[in-house]
This record gives sequence, structure tokens and C-alpha cells, in this order.
Amino acid sequence: MEVFLSSYGAAIVQMALAGVLALSLYLPLMAGQLSLASPGFYAVGGYTAALLSTTVFTGYANGSYPIPLIVVEMVIAGGVSALFALIIGIPSLRLRGIYLALATIAFIEILRVFALNQPWLGGAVGIYNIPQPFFSATRIEYLLLALPLLFGAMFFVARLERSRVGRAFIALREDELAASAMGVRPTYYKVLAFTLGAVLAGMAGALNAHILNTWNARQGTFDLSILILAYVLVGGSRTFLGPVIGGAFLVALPEIILREIAGAPGLNPVIATFLRDGRLILFGVLIAVSVFFFPYGLITPELFKRRRKKPEKVTVEAAKPTPNVRGGNL
Amino acid sequence: MKLTDQSSQQYRRLWWFASRGLAAVAAVLLIAAVIGAPSGLQNLFNGLAIGGVYAIFALGYTLIFSILRIINFAHGAIFTLGAYFTYFLTGAAVGFNGLLANQKLPFGLPFPLAMIGGGILAGLCGIFIERVAFRPLRNKGADPLLTLVSSLGVAVAIVNIIQLLVGAEIYSYPRNPFGEMPAALNLGNFGGLTARPIIIRTIQVIIFGVSMVTVVLLTYFINGTKTGKALRAVAEDATTSSLLGINTNRLILITFFLSGLVGGIAGTLVGLSVNVSGPYFGINFGLKGLAVIVLGGLGDIPGAVVGGLVIGVAESFVPSEYVAYKEAIAFAVLFVVLLLRPQGLLGRVVVQKV
Amino acid sequence: MSAEIMLEARNMTRRFGGLYAVDNVSFEVQRGEIFGLIGPNGAGKTTLFNLITGMTPPTHGELVYKGENITAKRPHEIAMRGIARTFQNIRLFGSLSALENVMIARHIHTKSGVIEGVLGLRPAPQEERATRQRALELLDLVGLADSAETKARNFAYGDQRRLEIARALSLEPELLLLDEPAAGMNQSEKSSLSEFIRRIREQFNLTIVLIEHYVPLVMGLCDRIAVLNFGQLIALGAPEKVQNDPAVIEAYLGD
Repeated sequence: MEVFLSSYGAAIVQMALAGVLALSLYLPLMAGQLSLASPGFYAVGGYTAALLSTTVFTGYANGSYPIPLIVVEMVIAGGVSALFALIIGIPSLRLRGIYLALATIAFIEILRVFALNQPWLGGAVGIYNIPQPFFSATRIEYLLLALPLLFGAMFFVARLERSRVGRAFIALREDELAASAMGVRPTYYKVLAFTLGAVLAGMAGALNAHILNTWNARQGTFDLSILILAYVLVGGSRTFLGPVIGGAFLVALPEIILREIAGAPGLNPVIATFLRDGRLILFGVLIAVSVFFFPYGLITPELFKRRRKKPEKVTVEAAKPTPNVRGGNL
Repeated sequence: MKLTDQSSQQYRRLWWFASRGLAAVAAVLLIAAVIGAPSGLQNLFNGLAIGGVYAIFALGYTLIFSILRIINFAHGAIFTLGAYFTYFLTGAAVGFNGLLANQKLPFGLPFPLAMIGGGILAGLCGIFIERVAFRPLRNKGADPLLTLVSSLGVAVAIVNIIQLLVGAEIYSYPRNPFGEMPAALNLGNFGGLTARPIIIRTIQVIIFGVSMVTVVLLTYFINGTKTGKALRAVAEDATTSSLLGINTNRLILITFFLSGLVGGIAGTLVGLSVNVSGPYFGINFGLKGLAVIVLGGLGDIPGAVVGGLVIGVAESFVPSEYVAYKEAIAFAVLFVVLLLRPQGLLGRVVVQKV
Repeated sequence: MSAEIMLEARNMTRRFGGLYAVDNVSFEVQRGEIFGLIGPNGAGKTTLFNLITGMTPPTHGELVYKGENITAKRPHEIAMRGIARTFQNIRLFGSLSALENVMIARHIHTKSGVIEGVLGLRPAPQEERATRQRALELLDLVGLADSAETKARNFAYGDQRRLEIARALSLEPELLLLDEPAAGMNQSEKSSLSEFIRRIREQFNLTIVLIEHYVPLVMGLCDRIAVLNFGQLIALGAPEKVQNDPAVIEAYLGD
């Protein structure tokens, strides 16, 4: 157990955070909006927490930073991210499909260059010595914060899907015009979904700023956008469990390849080297392959329904392959 | 059924002239301002040099988008590959890291040939990407978004293959790749027109020249050859074209080859200017290319060229005290263009059908 | 007849490039009537529906609903005022169940927000129960109560049309626009459709405008009929009058 935690502690915490980030992209997608802005809000959240804990809530010895203060930071970070989301979202959510995705890429890049050049954000070095509430090297204690955040986010999204607002989101995803003909205000609900996603990303960023101990402009860049998108699409974009499992799976995968498979005794040293140094190659290939073999993601709503009742009657219409994501006209 | 309306056509023709006229006036004013400003011409030349590279790189995105309506997110990786291929084709050795440490080809090509060879190899990689990441999903009728993710997966794989094979160090091309030449050309101060003499790095002239030759050749290919015309037909309407007997899959392969070719040459040209800075060389460039094609209008070939030049020039006019923000210019332009004119600078509005 | 005017179109015009899809069309729809809209393909009937429901902005012209000018309103604003529609090329929320499709259209009659919905605070649970109940009743009305949990896209064509009507009724409209409700239905379904439309008019106090190609249905059902051809209104009046109008005969028989 000790060994397991020391090698996987940090990874398990990151698996939970990946789930939260994946849900932050899933929320706008629920309303039919392909937004790649989550890393931007994640960065905003991280900077918020880093600033608060190093300049406002000072005076705590390292290792004894109060956990409630981190919760307070997470709430504030969520609020700041929501504010950014409103400013960005209201003008840009008129855009559809790939155009929205490109606008959100522009947002994260502008944010990155801005952060890189602001002395009060630490410039290129960033903000460091962010105080820790725990002494441990494994970081596993952070699960005390990361798991409630993940489960809270899962509860939130799961309940939302079965509520009036969630149904309005899904109606927009399915057919924006028909939804508006039924009285759903498209812009309002798109901005709402975008903002809710931003709050989740901001909170994840705030927590990760403490976990990583330092925060800079390399956090929350375009690389993370594509990674989060992969979490959602590999996991499945039609139920909230898909993104969570996709995130956990894709964070765990390189770690498992590195520590278990490449480290297995008796393995050919050339293969072991390849697995260790080239694990990201496998990672890329697996993403491409999984999209081909699991176009609806690993987790689909049908997975749960089949067990409960007999399959729905299939008509010609249903037999046609239907896209599992309506990101718009890409 | 198309009923034409005399007055609306006249109105549109009027608008066409008026908008082009306004654009011309704006351009003249801009040019006057540029020449008048201190080091304006210098900035303009610098901007055109890098803008030319943006243009040909963005053409690679645009070619594929015009046919498939998909953005190939592996295009940045192709750009990187092109730069590395050229490096090795000149006969230079791999660095001290990676599986291929200290290896080199048994021959070395002169730089211009190596650059073309690098482009061709990058084009072949483009074909490979089409076969493994795009065609299988297209044949399944999958959502375009999935193709985007699969091209991202391929990009991640390519970047890490490069890292595994040749390490993450900086590679620089041989000095004076085009033979002995002065490092810079002094154009003088245009008879007192500018405050300081205009000095252009020879390499910038070469970069700009190569990009423009590439643009011209590509334009000729698309407009002047039979294959090019078929390509345009597919871009216009893929279903009808395949009914007319055009082999769509073959044309898509050609498109990916061309896209890879220009992407690879762009990588080499940037490598000439600032060195090849490791496997992640193409990522930021890849993002900037997106800004260029949106500015020009997605899928619009002349638009990509204009967009590239505009962004290159815009970047070079950033005052030196704000030079740190230069990297954000393209994205600020992207954001504003998306909000004001999502169809791009040269594009026309398409009426959405209910 | 001095009945209350429900909807008034004044010189409604919509141009797409050089094509006048709807050209200077004016008419009034009175409360409680069933108003038919017929014409050859491409005559501009669906465009007119899109103009009324705010999905296509008019090039010029005015639209007055219950005395209020609604010309520049967005689709959801028009829906909120009590105008519901079905679509010619069925636009259900395909991957949602029949029940959820109908529940979505209760949107404007419910008000619980994110927090109430997620935490189950008042009024969300009560609203949810009432919405579900109401949706089931409407599904029962159109004869789909047994397949409430079936995904919309898995229904047969005729059933999808009926599901769209249930969804539109769920909005509690006063004015219902039906775009080719009989298309894709078999003969027996078509003959019961007339009866059904009359029944919902009585039950929900509706005013109905319908586009239909199936002439017997229109003639037997509608109080008044408007005929469009090339975007222009060429006849308007009682069915028997329109039927014998030379301009109408010309439009249908001529080229």
C-alpha cells in the first residue's frame, strides 16, 4: 500500500481533477457548444488561488495551511472564472461549431501571453511557494479535497441532466431551432452552460495550484484543451460518467505504462525503453484508435439502459449511424 | 428555380465596386502611414517575410478544409517534420540524444534540394495521416469532431516519435545554405523617404521569395491543371463531383500531399530564420495558422495568403516596448474577426437555411 | 364576421437574393378558426411559417399577434407569447425520449433554475412532477403513452408527426401552426387526423393555421383557405370559393 501510494498518490489526485476538467468541457457540450476554453478558466482559477494564498491569507507555516481556506479560494476562483466566462461567452457564443472552438483557442492563447508578461502574476516564472496544507510527498491527502470536488461536480451534472435547465441544454444540443421554437432562450442557456463549466474548471485550477505548489503560464494551455477534449470523447459525451471515466483512464494510462508495463521484470530492454520514453506515442495512437473503435466513447447511456429493460424496437432510422456529438458544422 | 432581380443585381455590383474601392483607399492610406512612420518600411519588409511563411503554412490547412470541411490538427506536426527532414537531407547528423544519436545520412543534398525533399517527405506524411486518421473515420460516416480528435492523437504521436528518435535539442541549418551571400541587403533610405536606411536580412528575402513561388505554383496547379480543376469541383460539391466520376479519394490524397508539402516547406523556412527548436516547434505555429485561415475565411485560398501577410505585418508593427505581447496579436485578430466577420476578410455571407 | 383577430400579416415579404420567397402577403387569422395555407411546392408556405415564428426575419412587412407587433421578435419570444409550431421536416430531439421531448416544451410554464433543479428545492420537485404528468397526458392524447420512454428517432414517421403535435401542445399555445401534418401518414391515419385536429381545437381553445398538400383534408377541415403561388397570395376565402377560383386552377394545372 505504501509503495502503491508513493508511486500513484499524485496520479490518483490528478485522475480526480481530470474528471472535473472533463465535466467542465462536458457542460457546454451538453448545450451543443464545442468550447475549448476550460484550460483558460483553469488557469484563471489557479492564479486566483495562488495570489490569495501568497498575498492575502499569509502567515501560515508550510504544511499547516488551513483546508477551509483552500475551500474559500476554490469558491472565489469559481466566481472569478464565472466572471471571465460571462465576458468571453456573451459575445462569442453566437458562433457555432469550429468557429466557437477557434474563438476559445484564441482566448486561452491571449490569456497565456498576458499572464506571461504580468509581473504581479510572476511573469514567466509564475507564482511559487504556494502554501501546503499537508507535509506528505505523495500528495495523496489532497484526495480529501479532490474527491469531494469530483463527486460534487458529478452530482451536480447528474442532477442537472434530469432537471428543467439540463433539458433545455440538451434540447439546444439536439436542435437549436426546434428548442427556440419551444421557448428555450438559446443565448441565455448557452452562456449558462459555458459559465457553469468555467466554475468547475476554475475550482480545479485553484486546487491544483496548491497541489503543484507553483502556478505559471504553462498551466492551462492549448495542450490541455486537446487533452480534455480527448477525455470527453474517449470516455463518451452522452452521459456525465463518460468524461469522468475518460479523464481517469487517460491520466492513469501513461502512468501505468511507465510504472507497470515498462517496469515489468524480464521485459526486453529495448521494449522497456520504448515504453518508458515513448509512452506518449502510444497515448496518441490509443486516442486515435479509440475514436475509431468507440465512436460513441467508452461509456454510453445505452450501457445502463440495456440492463434495466428490454431493448427498444429498432427501426431503419435507428440503424443508421448517428454522430454522438453535435459540435456543429466542423 | 432562380428568379433574378434587376435592381438587386445592380445593387450588388455597386456594393462590389464600393467595397473594393474603400479597401483600395484604406490600403493606400495604410501604405502612406507605413512609409511615413519611423522604421515603417523596415517593419513592413520584416512582416512580409514572416507573413509569407504564415500564408503557405495556412494554405495547408485551407486546402484540406476546403475539401473535407475539417481542420487537420496534425498540420503543426507536419510543419515540424518538414523542418527535421530538411535538416537530415542536408547530410547533417543527429544530436547526442534520442535513439538515432549521432546518425546521419550517407549523402548530403544541397540546401534547396533538401528543402524540396523535406517538403515531399512531409507531403508523404500527410498522405499517411489521411490514410490512418481521416479515411477510416470518413468511411464509417463518423462525426467530424471525432476526426479532429483522431488527428490530434496522430499529432501527439508524431511529436513524441520525433522526441524519441532525435531528442529535444535545438537543430540549426548550415550557415549560408544558398552559398556565399551577404548577410543583409542595404536598400538605402529611398532618397530620404525614410529616416534610417532599410536593411533586410538576405534570409528574409529568400524566405519571402520561396513562399511566393510556392503560392504561385500552387495557384497555377489549382487553376491551371485538370487535377486542380477536379479539386475545386470537389470543394464546391463533393457528392455531385463523385457522381460525375471524379475519384474523390484520390483527390483527397493529393490534397493531403499538397498540404503536407507546403506545411513542410513552411517548417524549413521558419527553421532557416530561427532554428528548429525541438519537437514542439510546430505547436504554436499551428495555432497561429488557425488565426490566419479564419482571418482569410475558412477554406478560402486567396484569403489564406492575404490573412498570412496581414498577420505577419501586424506582428511586425508591434512597438518594441510591447514586443512580449506579439504572440497574442494573431489571436486577438482571430477573436475580433470571429466576432465581427466570421466569414473572413474576403468571404461572403452564406444564408443559413432553416 | 366581427370575430377577434388573432394574427395579422401586413405586406409580409422575404427575399433570398433575387428570389421573392414570400411577396407582399397580407391576411388575417381569426380566433378559433382553422386556416389552411396551400399552394404548389416552392410557393413560400414554409417560409411564411418561418416568418411568423421568427426563424427568418422578414425583408419587410409587419406581423401583429393579438394586437402586439411581433415582427422583429426572436423565436423563443414568439413561443412565449403562445405560438407553437410543427416542422415540415420533423425536428424532434432525436436522442431524447418521447416524454422528454414533450417535457421540454413546458419550459416557459416552469421556472426552477440551476440550484433548485440540482438540489431538489422548491419549486423544482413539484414542477417536475406536474410537467411529467402533463406530458404523459399529452402523449396519451396523441396515442403514444405506451412508448413514452422510446427515443424520438425510433418512432415511425406518422408517430413522429403526432409526437411533434404533442410537443407543440405542451407549450399551451393559443395559435398552433401545423406544417404538413398529414405528410407520411397512411390513409386511415389521414382520415382520423381531421377529426383529431378539430378535437384539439375544441379541447385547447386553439386557433390553427395549417399547411397541407392533401386536398381532401384541407377542403373538409379548414374554415378559410389562403393560396400562395410564387410567394404571392392569389386567393383567400372559404374552401368552395377558393376551389373554383380561376387563378387557383391556373396555378395548380398550369406550368
